[in-house]
Amino acid sequence: MGFGAISWWLIYNAKINLLDAKLGVPLVMAARFQSNRGWERLENVLSEQRGTPDGAIGAAWLLNEPGKTLYRSQQWPSDLNIEAWLRSLPISFRPFGQEEDRSSQNSVDFSPGAPSLIASISSRSPLKRSFTTQKTASGKWRVGAIATPNQRIAIAVNLQNIHQEMATIRTIFMIAIPGVLLLVAGGAWALSGQALHPIRQLTGAIQSVTVRGLDQRVPTQSIDMEFVELIQMFNQMLERLERSFKQSSRFSANAAHELKTPLAILQGELERALHKAEVGSPIQQSLGYLLDEVCRLSEIVRKLLLLSLADAGQLSLHAVDVNLSAMVTEMAEDIGLLAPDLQVQTDIGSGLRVSGDRDLLARVFHNLISNAIKYNLPEGWISIRVYRRAAMVWVTIINASSDIPEGERDRIFDRFYRGDPARSRKVEGTGLGLNLSREIARAHGGDLTLDPTPLGQTSFTLRLL
Amino acid sequence: MNYSFVILTGYENAYNKAVSHDMTNKPMHILFVEDELKIANFVQAGLKEQGFVVDYCDNGDEGCCRALTYEYDAIVLDIMVPGKDGLSILKQLRRERRNSPVILLTARNELDDRLAGLNLGADDYIAKPFFVEELVARIHAVVRRSVGERQNLLSVGPLKLDRISREVTCDDAAVELTTREFNLLEYLMRSPGRVFTRTQILEHVWGYDFSPNTNVVDVCIQRIRKKIDPIGGKGWIESIRGVGYRFRKSEEV
Repeated sequence: MGFGAISWWLIYNAKINLLDAKLGVPLVMAARFQSNRGWERLENVLSEQRGTPDGAIGAAWLLNEPGKTLYRSQQWPSDLNIEAWLRSLPISFRPFGQEEDRSSQNSVDFSPGAPSLIASISSRSPLKRSFTTQKTASGKWRVGAIATPNQRIAIAVNLQNIHQEMATIRTIFMIAIPGVLLLVAGGAWALSGQALHPIRQLTGAIQSVTVRGLDQRVPTQSIDMEFVELIQMFNQMLERLERSFKQSSRFSANAAHELKTPLAILQGELERALHKAEVGSPIQQSLGYLLDEVCRLSEIVRKLLLLSLADAGQLSLHAVDVNLSAMVTEMAEDIGLLAPDLQVQTDIGSGLRVSGDRDLLARVFHNLISNAIKYNLPEGWISIRVYRRAAMVWVTIINASSDIPEGERDRIFDRFYRGDPARSRKVEGTGLGLNLSREIARAHGGDLTLDPTPLGQTSFTLRLL
Repeated sequence: MNYSFVILTGYENAYNKAVSHDMTNKPMHILFVEDELKIANFVQAGLKEQGFVVDYCDNGDEGCCRALTYEYDAIVLDIMVPGKDGLSILKQLRRERRNSPVILLTARNELDDRLAGLNLGADDYIAKPFFVEELVARIHAVVRRSVGERQNLLSVGPLKLDRISREVTCDDAAVELTTREFNLLEYLMRSPGRVFTRTQILEHVWGYDFSPNTNVVDVCIQRIRKKIDPIGGKGWIESIRGVGYRFRKSEEV
């Protein structure tokens, strides 16, 4: 649209300039005339122009230097009053007299009646021509004028023809530009659709591959040549992905066997040796230590396996109906054994049941309770609440503790994260517990969170569906 | 059919208590299928010490053949063995109406295997690594169950422990024990004379790892002693310095 408007404006200006140029010729000519007969000749020139296609109604007005009208064409519109403007024009000086009149006007074959004029035209002494556009009842008029020391001449041309042309051009533009734009848009749409079609096809193929599994490949034959390389790369990526995925899940499946077999052998042989040894002998004590360490190692392996299964999304739950109230009550009893100096406060709703894996859930509670004991203060306290809220069972375990620094609160669930170094020295553990507990909670459709608490407390909440 | 019985000798039949539960006092025959030789060695040794007669094979095909040919008191099957795997053997046994109790050994933590095994008619499963003592206890349990023997009463010396009613009596005086205390006492009493380390006890009674320095076992033992000592149970739970605890064998008193 902007383009249309600008071109229209440029065309209009060009036409006006052309008209100005055409007006310039009779003006210069008129500047030479002295007698009334000259005006008649000028009038003739104008009327001849009137007949041409781009000729318009022309009219002339002449004033002598004092300002008296010497001549005014009959066609001059009565409401086109330019007298004041004409009088105010600066005078172009003609140093060589009228016979040596010079003009910058180019040679335009404006009139067969003035051949001598053309010959006399040169650029040596430009006469200053002025133009203005005036609006009257009979339309717009373009007025050109020249002021010489002797006279002031104005020639007016009606712009009606030009306006008509411009209206035609505008109409053409109004119809053509939207049409062209529509054509271009449609063409671009069709072209890009054509170009994107293979990509859409490819997307579909890739989608079906990801749905069906990593062992699928995108077929290359039905797709455009340009994309074959892309598809090959994609297929290669799938292959690598599949390989590493298989490797990791094979690890999950086999690591158990690989690690547990030597552990089983160690444990079995140690157990046997322990019983063969003389009761209470130093060798039996050593064997006892070894056996304990092997047990601990087995436990770490078990935890890592659970974590790797959880990471692979393969933490399979053996879901049964679990009486959470009874389970937590039993666990709470252990606090008395483990840490008799701690005050224990329980508020365990009765008969709260969830569907979950009994072993894994017991692991979570054990982890939370043993943490609550490990990180407690001397003569501290533990508070355990089990209650139902909405569709979930909530277990909140709060204990007295030194404050967890703000920066460490986020890291507390990190694997192998272990409190601050000062605490880690005296508190044993692997740093896997909370991470695993959270994985287990999430596998049950719940979550484990560290709650905001006042100073001097730590609170964890487990939510289970 | 060529059977290669691998019977390791050299281990004393220490307790000679693994006799059939059908009052014939024959030693119990166990079929043990396991491909890992080193595991097989200590398991066989352990079982023989407990008075079992063990048939061992290191592959599933042979194991299956034997299981179908002979009557065993119990069968211990590793799930992952070369040839026919443990679950297939179990399936075939049950299909052919062989009702010997079966305990599955698995190194995999995968519940699917466990569940599949139990659904196929396994009587119990035990995950590696395991204690031979645990396996022995499980074998006794499944065999008792299979012959319909009441297995709820455990009696050593003056102490009697009822697994069903969870009552403990000492010279007919009843003792109130908490869940953990009862489980610990039962664990010690089912293998009198056998030394258990603290970690072993923890793993069995509590199930999960406490920090290795925990004294929960000692505290729990103290509490049990406090309860049974006044009614004639004094001295039956022995501390083995630097190792752990054991329940005294009745013959030694």
